Amino acid sequence: MPNIVALVKMVPDLVEELEINDSGTGLDRDWLRVIINEFDNHAVEQAIIIKERDGGEVTVIAPEAEGVEDMLFTTAAKGADRMVKLSHDDFEEGVNNHALARAFAEKAKEYQPDLILTGVQANDDLDGPVGPLVAEYLGMPYLGYICGVKIEDGKALVCKEYPGGLTAQMEVSLPAVLGIQAGEEPPRYVAISKVRQMMKTAEIDEHETDELDPDGGIAVNRMYLPEDAGRAEMIEGDEDEIAAKLIEIFKEVGAL
Amino acid sequence: MPERTNYWGIPHTWGEPETFVYIIMFLSAAIMLFRFYKRASLWWQIGRPEARWDKIPQRLWLVVKYAIVQTRSLRQRYPGIMHAAIAWSFFVFFLGTALATVHDHFFEFLHGNILIVYKFTLDIFTIIFLIGAGMAIYRRYQEKPEKLTYDEGFTRTLVLITVIVLTGLFTESLRLAAERSGISAWSPAGHLLAQLWISTGATEKALTNWHLGAWIIHLLTVAFTLITLPVSTLLHALTAPLNIFFSKLDRPIGALAPTATTEDDEPIFASKLSDLTWKQLLDADACTECGRCQDACPAFNAGTPLSPKQLMLSLRESFVHNGTKPVLTGEAIPEDVLWACTTCGACVQECPVLVEHIDTIVDLRRYLVIEGMVDAELQTALMNLGRYGNSFGKSERMRARWSKGMEPKIKNANKEAVEYLWFVGDYASYSPTLTEITKQTAEVFQKVGLDFGIMYKGENHAGNDVRRVGEEGLFEMLAEKNMKAMSKADYQAIITTDPHSYNTLKNEYPANGGQPVLHYTELLDQLIASGALRFSKKLDYKVTYHDPCYLGRYNGVYDAPRRIIEATGCEIVEMPRNRDCALCCGAGGGRIWMEEGEIEERPSESRIREAVELGGVTDFIVACPKDVTMYRDAVKTVGAEEKIIVKDLIELVYEAL
Ligand code: SF4
Ligand code: SF4
Repeated sequence: MPNIVALVKMVPDLVEELEINDSGTGLDRDWLRVIINEFDNHAVEQAIIIKERDGGEVTVIAPEAEGVEDMLFTTAAKGADRMVKLSHDDFEEGVNNHALARAFAEKAKEYQPDLILTGVQANDDLDGPVGPLVAEYLGMPYLGYICGVKIEDGKALVCKEYPGGLTAQMEVSLPAVLGIQAGEEPPRYVAISKVRQMMKTAEIDEHETDELDPDGGIAVNRMYLPEDAGRAEMIEGDEDEIAAKLIEIFKEVGAL
Repeated sequence: MPERTNYWGIPHTWGEPETFVYIIMFLSAAIMLFRFYKRASLWWQIGRPEARWDKIPQRLWLVVKYAIVQTRSLRQRYPGIMHAAIAWSFFVFFLGTALATVHDHFFEFLHGNILIVYKFTLDIFTIIFLIGAGMAIYRRYQEKPEKLTYDEGFTRTLVLITVIVLTGLFTESLRLAAERSGISAWSPAGHLLAQLWISTGATEKALTNWHLGAWIIHLLTVAFTLITLPVSTLLHALTAPLNIFFSKLDRPIGALAPTATTEDDEPIFASKLSDLTWKQLLDADACTECGRCQDACPAFNAGTPLSPKQLMLSLRESFVHNGTKPVLTGEAIPEDVLWACTTCGACVQECPVLVEHIDTIVDLRRYLVIEGMVDAELQTALMNLGRYGNSFGKSERMRARWSKGMEPKIKNANKEAVEYLWFVGDYASYSPTLTEITKQTAEVFQKVGLDFGIMYKGENHAGNDVRRVGEEGLFEMLAEKNMKAMSKADYQAIITTDPHSYNTLKNEYPANGGQPVLHYTELLDQLIASGALRFSKKLDYKVTYHDPCYLGRYNGVYDAPRRIIEATGCEIVEMPRNRDCALCCGAGGGRIWMEEGEIEERPSESRIREAVELGGVTDFIVACPKDVTMYRDAVKTVGAEEKIIVKDLIELVYEAL
């Protein structure tokens, strides 16, 4: 029975307008409201689907953030067995994915996972997605853009999405890290009373992360809202005319 | 002086006829009661306990009103009169038989004029019965409305009761024919028929023999009817009064009960028969299959799989098999049936035997919600409500954005004392198409000098429809948040724009200091009456008014909006389905958040057609923000843009100010 770990992070909630901090290098976290990364939500769903089908245990790990407890209790209400909250003073400030992936890897290792599932991407991935980094630090294979997972004879049979509407079936030996694009089923609804019940009965393991090592990540020089450049030119006409015009422009700028 | 002859013409060959009659009747009644007990015991053997034994005098009054006088049944003329004619006649026959027994054994009083009145009454009711039975035959075999059940059980019952009354009439008339009594004209039907017998030239002996035959058939048919009653369609004669007696008195129709819990405080999410209470099972057994609920049901008429009548019959069907078909959700009662309900209350309003359909529907929905069996659109709405306190998935900071730029700025009721706390509601706050109307509402309030405020981001969705979707936990959470915000405000009364918020705030929220909750139409009506609101213009539109379910049927506010409309100078032309018969727009009970599914005609479209058919009505007036949305869409889809405009009542007020 597989031991499954789902790695989840909270990302900026886009219902609020985003603001840039005073130094102009990141989001103003005082105004930030965070929500579970939608892809991670799918990863949790996929983990629970596997558990329901093949048995096993699901552990959800998430770094500290506002509302992370509620989010973890929600995963427990869906069927996760263990909830782990990573804490460190710097999480509130925001850390890059290299640091986060190291913290995830260190904790995930303890559960000797057969499968690590996480969202294939997030809206605040500046230094690449979390999945491949975790795989690298743990020395496991990684497959991204996954839309379905089955466990068979110690292997995972996965379905991977390609651009252009193609999907492929692949086999990967375990343990492995999978970047989930979409769960087999969309994330289920959990009634509030179930979540509230979990708040009363379930417990979150809190784990103090010793060190956050952002090495390998990137440094942001400037972050800014898209500026109105006023350079857009609408090309009009039928398909042939537009294509001809495009070729002309490409030649002009030296791209062809 | 006329005297009553007991057992006239019945031979005493085998002893006193009386003894036989009593033995036969006693045995039949005993068998009936035993069989009924067997059936009824299923209710409490399968169903959960529920206390409905309080307020006995009030309950008895309900029985008089609904089971004996049958006011509900009489709401519909033809079937009402038909049923009353049959039922009241039988009440009179029972009473007559009982009085005869009293006369025979305890206290002789049936002679002289009393006897004449007695005979006359019984005879007249015989005629009334025959009229009722005739109407029933015409209805069932000629008119054949869709809502009825065409099962031979109904035919059998009709035949049995008609045979009972006819053989009774034959017995009487044959006796009259043989006796040639002087007072026979006081039994007009019997007298007339007696003339027929006399005209056959039969001897007194022959007439007496025929009389004996009719009497025996009469007696045996009564016995047979009694014995088979608990398994026939006449069962309702017992279950309906019981259901009426045990109907809910602890809360108004606008208040749902919280999720039930077990003794260990575990919530019960109803998915099987045994999760329902005995009263919910009794509901199903009391259903007379009259189909009135189905006829009034917007979901049924839209072509969805829901029929409230069929819902009751499916429930009955599953438990008369003594729990061998115990699973309701998804089996005996498909999910789409449960989701189709708009909780409009029309079924509950129409049911002559006070069946409580909505409570059962919501109980079963609660199970679907707890199992996560909700459609994607509903899921999104619920998640938004849980996270942001509104179904639009917008930030709570944007709740009062509609008021931006208004001068003077609307008071924040969480910061300063106001007389009226205005609970704006989700649609009025967030829906871009309603911004103008919400602003006009605020301006009207300002112009009449109302001291009012709103709670800005402190307001959450009130939860009326969240509760009716079956998401009780979310409802509780929203209610707690609102209660907390309201407890921080200083106000004398609450006003709402939305009838749905109005209903839950008024009927379901714990009384918050006892301040009254008013719909804005009630407030404006009061202001007009007190002279605080005066109109400077006289509008002369010909309008029709649509009663929102949660304002009208649920809370009885019918006249206030009409008085306001008239005060603006408009003329109201009523649609055929008005006031408590108003058709639902289809948005309630959370339907506005759900996938529409397969339907034939949207209730809102049917409603707009109804209004257009009135001819000459230019404005369709509503008093609910959801109605504005629903009906403006419907006007477009039925292509009636040229004929009718949908307006909120406040727009008329604003215009006439
Ligand atoms: S509440 Fe309205 S929609 Fe629901 S079953 Fe009754 S009549 Fe139909
Ligand atoms: S539930 Fe009530 S209204 Fe509906 S068919 Fe039965 S008796 Fe008639």
